[in-house]
Amino acid sequence: MKRVGNGAGLVVALAVAGLALAACGGSVNEAASSSAPAPESSAAPAESSEAPAPAPADCGEWGVAMHAWVGYTASAQVLSDVAREKLGCTINQTQLDEAATTYDAMEAGSVDVIIEDWGGGRWQEWVDRGAIEEVGFNGNVGLIGMYVPQWMCDENPDITDGTKLNDYADLFKTPESGDKGAWLEGPPGYTTIGEKIIEAYGLNYEIINTGSETALIEAFTKGSEDKTPVLGYFYEPQNFLAKVPLCRINFPANDWTDAAKASGLTDYPETPLVKLATVKLMDSGSPFATLVANFEWTNEDQNQVALDIESGMSPEEAAKKWIDAHPEIVAQWLEGTGAS
Amino acid sequence: MNLKAALSLRWVQALVVLVGWAVLATLLKGVQTQELSTSKDSPFTAVLREVASAIRGNRTESFLFVYVFNPIRAFISGFIELIMSVISVPADGNVIPLLGWFGTLVLIGFIVYATSNLRTALFSMFLLLICGMLGMWLITMDTLAMTIGAVVLSLAIALPLGVWAGVSDRVMSILRPWLDLAQVLPTLVYLAPLALVFLIGIASATIATMVYSIPICIRITAHAIKSLKRGPLEAAESVGSTRWQVLTKVQLPMAKRTIILAINQTTLAALSFVVIAALIGAPGLGKPVVEALTIRNVGDGVVAGLAVVLLAIMLDRSTTAAVMREEQGFAAAEEQKVRRRIGLVIAGVITVVAIYLSRQVLWFAVFPENLNFGEQVANVANSIEEWITSNLDFLTVGFSEWFTIWLLNPLEGVLANSPWWLTLIAITLLAFILAGRTVGILVFVLLALVMATGLWNDTMVTLAMTLIATAFVVLLGIILGVWAGRSERVDRFFKPFLDAGQTMPAFVYLVPVLALFGPTRFAAIVLGVVYAAPVVIRIVADGVRKVPKESVEAAISSGSTTMQVITKVQLPSSRRSILLGANQGLIFVLAVVVIGGFVGAGGLGYLVIVGQSKPELAGKGLAAGIAIVLLGIILDRIAQGRPQKQGPVGH
Repeated sequence: MKRVGNGAGLVVALAVAGLALAACGGSVNEAASSSAPAPESSAAPAESSEAPAPAPADCGEWGVAMHAWVGYTASAQVLSDVAREKLGCTINQTQLDEAATTYDAMEAGSVDVIIEDWGGGRWQEWVDRGAIEEVGFNGNVGLIGMYVPQWMCDENPDITDGTKLNDYADLFKTPESGDKGAWLEGPPGYTTIGEKIIEAYGLNYEIINTGSETALIEAFTKGSEDKTPVLGYFYEPQNFLAKVPLCRINFPANDWTDAAKASGLTDYPETPLVKLATVKLMDSGSPFATLVANFEWTNEDQNQVALDIESGMSPEEAAKKWIDAHPEIVAQWLEGTGAS
Repeated sequence: MNLKAALSLRWVQALVVLVGWAVLATLLKGVQTQELSTSKDSPFTAVLREVASAIRGNRTESFLFVYVFNPIRAFISGFIELIMSVISVPADGNVIPLLGWFGTLVLIGFIVYATSNLRTALFSMFLLLICGMLGMWLITMDTLAMTIGAVVLSLAIALPLGVWAGVSDRVMSILRPWLDLAQVLPTLVYLAPLALVFLIGIASATIATMVYSIPICIRITAHAIKSLKRGPLEAAESVGSTRWQVLTKVQLPMAKRTIILAINQTTLAALSFVVIAALIGAPGLGKPVVEALTIRNVGDGVVAGLAVVLLAIMLDRSTTAAVMREEQGFAAAEEQKVRRRIGLVIAGVITVVAIYLSRQVLWFAVFPENLNFGEQVANVANSIEEWITSNLDFLTVGFSEWFTIWLLNPLEGVLANSPWWLTLIAITLLAFILAGRTVGILVFVLLALVMATGLWNDTMVTLAMTLIATAFVVLLGIILGVWAGRSERVDRFFKPFLDAGQTMPAFVYLVPVLALFGPTRFAAIVLGVVYAAPVVIRIVADGVRKVPKESVEAAISSGSTTMQVITKVQLPSSRRSILLGANQGLIFVLAVVVIGGFVGAGGLGYLVIVGQSKPELAGKGLAAGIAIVLLGIILDRIAQGRPQKQGPVGH
């Protein structure tokens, strides 16, 4: 027992000595703050390591939500980097689930901005409580739909007519769907109306909840390479479409002139994507609030950055490349912030 | 003779039930299956949805939140952040935390040396060094800090409770149901309620870890205190020691080894939460794993996953070595003690120097970039994944389809696509036959509760996957476990793979599994098998190893072949281990089948996931969590059953 006690005592003594040593005197930290390029560390990519430009107004510290899909990553990274470099803001990026999880985080104050939200109005509860507000559209237009690999459309031109999908149900049969065709539904959290579409047109399809976008991408990749029939949920803008061409199945749009017929959604409408921010941020007077309000770019812009990320660039590099190539757009975003 | 007759009779009964069930299920296919479309609420889930919404609305005002939950959250976050500021998170404007990488590395080495031996210390440092060379130093330290924090907090609660439960049977009987419950709870289930109350972030992740690790620790500690030999206790009591003296002077020191074992298990449990923690916004190695999944860069995920595995091996080996040292410690000779003391002093000086260097010299402070081979490793992993998915899928697709059509679909047909009351009656009868009246009644009540959640059909779909995956796991466990149990060499060869399989987060191989099998229930079954097999193999191997040498040798000398030795001697005598393995396998499989929701397997897992991201389905997510818990208890109870019987529903 005595011996063990000694060991433990030594550990404590050492810890105390070590911490005392650590606390006193100059260290790399001071050396680094005076001499220029700080080495990059894996946990803090590019954050805080670059000296910010002189800030026009005190920007403050804000949180940007990071969501799972690459398009979102592209938008959020560009926004964060512009805020850091041009406005001198401290931006914390938090990787978390979209929708409710993020709205909760915003209400709690750890996240301030969602730069791209697809779900029309699902945040209403949080708006009502005064936590979140809509900050307009981000310029991207989302189009959700049911897609098949391009080769299927080439071989069967009328497959794009959603009302004739029953003719092809046999093609899409899998052990998962039994006697019906397999309808690969969108991931959780994404807006999906597959059940309604199937009911509206009496389609002979079974919904398979794929559970993740990765599952859909793998299914379409395989469907294109091996020429196996796949019918699944997908959306634009998505840079994956540049690599694996897909073809959209169109269902008759809602007839809004006839109230009775327009009762249920029967195809996904085009969705302008929404920016959301905390009321705290928008009322703060920070130039970051102005930047968020001004942020707007096209599907093509987003795809460029997203494609760079997918082909191996880090989000920071891809964002920097785009920012450097589009000074005029960045300048528009910075209007009213006092920075240039 | 009597016993044998009874035994065969019970099997006959079970068989009759199974056949009757199958026939009726076929006749009544699709009748009253209680199928509920994903977007619709049952009465119960509607109530839960309202509750979730009310909690959200009350978080800033309600008394409970302001004075209880929020302070708890602040305390836990603060505690973890304190540890992080020492080894992983630089303060604002700084480049390094309190300690640079080299100082941290040597300090950890020193602590391991002080608690075990030099070899283990060097090995631990070597493993950590590799984590750094994978480009993951600071992130690994994030995870280490969170693990240490969670373990310290868990122990602070679990050790006193465990000791108390060990001393008092009453306390144990009060705690036991909760311990049972916590052990069958799959992680994803309590993530949603925790995030609802404690919000996302470090605090929720830590509490989730504690929910999981505290019961393990209580059990081991209580068992240790209780299983002490009566002799010393009576001796102490006879010389008039008070109860407190008996506890602190006799029981605790004697149980020390097992308590360190509890630390070991708690540590590994905490580490298994790394990726799950990332799902609710906690820092650490899970983050790159989840990120790699979103941009489908398998390589990056593998690199982070490797770091998790290395860290787990390091923590396991160092704490195990500490246990072994406790065992041998008392016997050490005087001369060795002196040598060791000198060694400790020298190591201490080296550590202080290393800490000093790590704060003064950049190369020792920030992990050098030219030692970073993370990208190369990721590229290799990517090429391997590509090769596997493009060259092996002819094998896998055919097999998965055959399997789904001939095994999974028929079983699901009986369980899920037949009238709910038929399934309910059949499972209850089987429980009666296999596990006795008490369990039978319990199972009936639990099934009725499942019915009340309104998620009957989804529960049965999940049950079908769980049963098949468990059958696979047990089969695999017996074959490989016997092999490993019979040969030291094979065992040593398996060890790193088992370690990796147990600690490598399931998310890392989600993408390759998806690429091979597509979004199917089979993919979920594969995930479950990969995750649960190591545990079962370990337990079976352990059982086989414990078979008395004499009986094996007797069998060999009487001319038995190897096969006969296995089937006639080793398997029967390790039956208890196999049963325990099957039970553990079942629980592990259930935990991962939930993750199957991410790969298109549907069922309860999908509802849990969708409930987290769609507020309008929050009620269904919570209800699915409850259904999983009920299912876990049902399976656990039937599987424990009577000691002579194996498995739940035989198929």
